[in-house]
Order: sequence, then structure tokens, then C-alpha cells
Amino acid sequence: MKTCKEVLMQGETIVLDKREKRRLAGEYPDLCLTCGTCAGGCPVTGVDGLDMRKAVRMALLGLDQELVDSRFPWICTLCGRCEEACPMNIDLLKMMRSARTLRDRDKVPGVMHKGVEMCLKTGNNVGIPKEDYLFLLEDLGAELAEELPGFEVPVDKKGARIMVTINSKEPFAEPEDMFFWWKIFYAAKESWTTTSENWEGVNWGLFTGDDDSMKEIVRRIVENYKKLECEYLLLPE
Amino acid sequence: MSVHDLLKEYIESGRIKIDKSKHPELTTYHDPCNYARKSEKTFGHGYYEEPRWITQQCVDNFVDMHPNRRNNYCCGGGGGAWAMPYAEERIHYGRVKAKQIKDTGAKLLVAPCHNCRDQIMKSLRQEYDFMDVEVKYLWELVADSLVIDGVDNKEE
Repeated sequence: MKTCKEVLMQGETIVLDKREKRRLAGEYPDLCLTCGTCAGGCPVTGVDGLDMRKAVRMALLGLDQELVDSRFPWICTLCGRCEEACPMNIDLLKMMRSARTLRDRDKVPGVMHKGVEMCLKTGNNVGIPKEDYLFLLEDLGAELAEELPGFEVPVDKKGARIMVTINSKEPFAEPEDMFFWWKIFYAAKESWTTTSENWEGVNWGLFTGDDDSMKEIVRRIVENYKKLECEYLLLPE
Repeated sequence: MSVHDLLKEYIESGRIKIDKSKHPELTTYHDPCNYARKSEKTFGHGYYEEPRWITQQCVDNFVDMHPNRRNNYCCGGGGGAWAMPYAEERIHYGRVKAKQIKDTGAKLLVAPCHNCRDQIMKSLRQEYDFMDVEVKYLWELVADSLVIDGVDNKEE
């Protein structure tokens, strides 16, 4: 490895050298003025000794793997406050999400990658079987009909105005929270439907940096939407 | 179509009727990163005013947190953090949000995002001692405020 002095002696600049090795930096972090505005407004600045300003330096200096291996891109919530404040408009979120993308899939923290795989396999993140799901919707619909006469949950209704996805945590753990939207649709006399397959509204590929899976999950939702000839698609997330 | 556009359409057009007296308490609204500044950046429109308008159709006493809208602080549960194993860091993150909420003095907090609602309701309230603040989804607030013709609108 060359020393800094040798690099400078040869007339190369450290920052722009060997760009091909910097998978995270792209071209934007080159613009960083190291002002620290990003880190100054971030609630997790200092966790694990890192912050957004340091993350940019790491990407720029070619310490990609160190950043990819660190917890910081996952403790960052991708909230975008840093990017909003950056005077140089550096694409900080894209950089952090790329760091997530470059993690081996079996090293994605927690359940999210398993959820993505489950969603691709079963159509929802928690693997609720179709029959159980349809039974639950019918059962809950009948329960709500005691309060709202004639209510039922429309499934795969062709030509409905609105197609609705569902957050799997609700059928899985908080089923009665689905009543809120159902009551509103009932009161508005809305023409709506949900679907018997690929109804998951939570796309964890967004968070794990998995573009291919994310696109496939979206594609299936759009396929349902086109097949049922609905006017609007509503993802109540 | 966004939840905000739809709820606004229902209320504006009179398709649903709302009773404000069901939520007399001082109420505040949390801007989720995704509906607010990230929507503005990605789609050219941040949902700042629509949810505030919808909330204020359901409540009379409204107060904003500071900072808010484009400059709002994340609840700490975003980006998948709610589903990640770093609970200590997630709670540490949320301290700013918790202080923002407590500083308003509101007793009802409205959030139009599953992640934000869960992080604030199930975690931050216990960790930062504001169990007296009720947390509702935006559509939960609307559903709980509904007046439906021909139906006995009993209190939930």
C-alpha cells in the first residue's frame, strides 16, 4: 500500500483515487464539506462511536466493508433528517441503504429478511395460509356486522373502486384494528376490496435494501390491481 | 392513493360525518418520515397539511410539536428498526420524540403510520413515562369519530 505522501508525490489525489473500489460512495460524498450538520440533528449520533458525517468519510475513504459490517446503517432509521439538512444535497439515505444492500442476506439483523422470503413464498410476511386468512376475514366481518348491519369483507371483488392491502401484523396479532378502515368504508358506502393472495402491504425489501424482492412484491400487488380492474390502490401504511 | 387523500375526500364531500365531541382532549400529530419529508423528496409532495386538517375535523384542541413537518424527528422505529433486534438503540433514538410529545401537553397523539404508532404506543410511552397519552392511528381517530346513519353510535 502506498503512503499518503507517495500518493501525493505521484500527483494523485487520495479522494478521487480508485473510485471503483468505493461501492457506497458513488459520486456524491465527494461534495461533503465535513460540516457535520447531518450528525448534529441525528438522534443516534455517537452510537457505536459513529455518526452520519463519519459514515460519509468512511465511504469516501474506501472503508466500505467496515461500514457494511457495522451496525450503524441499521440503527439509522433512514428518516432523512440529515439529508434534508445537508447543504451539499448529498444523497445520504441512498448511501446508507446501499450499505444495507451490501450485507449478506443471512446477516440482515432480526426477522426482516426472513419476512421478505416468507412474503415471496406465501404472499405475506408472516406466512398466514390463505384458508386461515379468508376464514378470519369472514369471521371478523360477521362480528362487525352485529354493529353495522349488512357489513361483510369484500375479497377479490372485480371492478371495486379501491383495492386495499393489509399489514400482516393485523390479521396476525391485532385483528380488530382492521375494523377502523372497515367502519370508514361502511360509513362512506365505498366500493372496495381486498385480495385473497399477495395482500401484504408491508414491503420489508425497502428496509433490507433488497430491490429485486421489493419490486417483485410490488409487481404482485399491481397484478392484482390490474386483474380486478380497480380504480385506486390504497396501502394503509 | 394515499390514506390522507381518501380520508380528506370522504370528509370534504360529506360521505362520512364526524362528531368532534368524542375527542375533547388536547391532541397532537406526529409526522412520519415517509409521509412527510421523504414523500416530498420522492414524489414531490409531502403530506403535512392533509393529516392536520383531517385531525382537526375530529378534534377542536390541536397543538403541533416542535420542530414539525419537514423538520420533524423520527419516532425511532422507522426503517425497519421496530423489527430489528437493537431495542436499546431504538429506545435511545426515541428520547427526542418522547420529549417533543410530552412538551406539547397533549393527551392524544395521532399517527398515520403503523411503525410510528407501535414505537410510540407500545415502547416510548412506557420507557419515557407518558402512559397518560393515548395513541391512535389517523384512521382510528376518524373511525372513532364517525356518526353513521341508522346505527347506534356507542362510545368505543
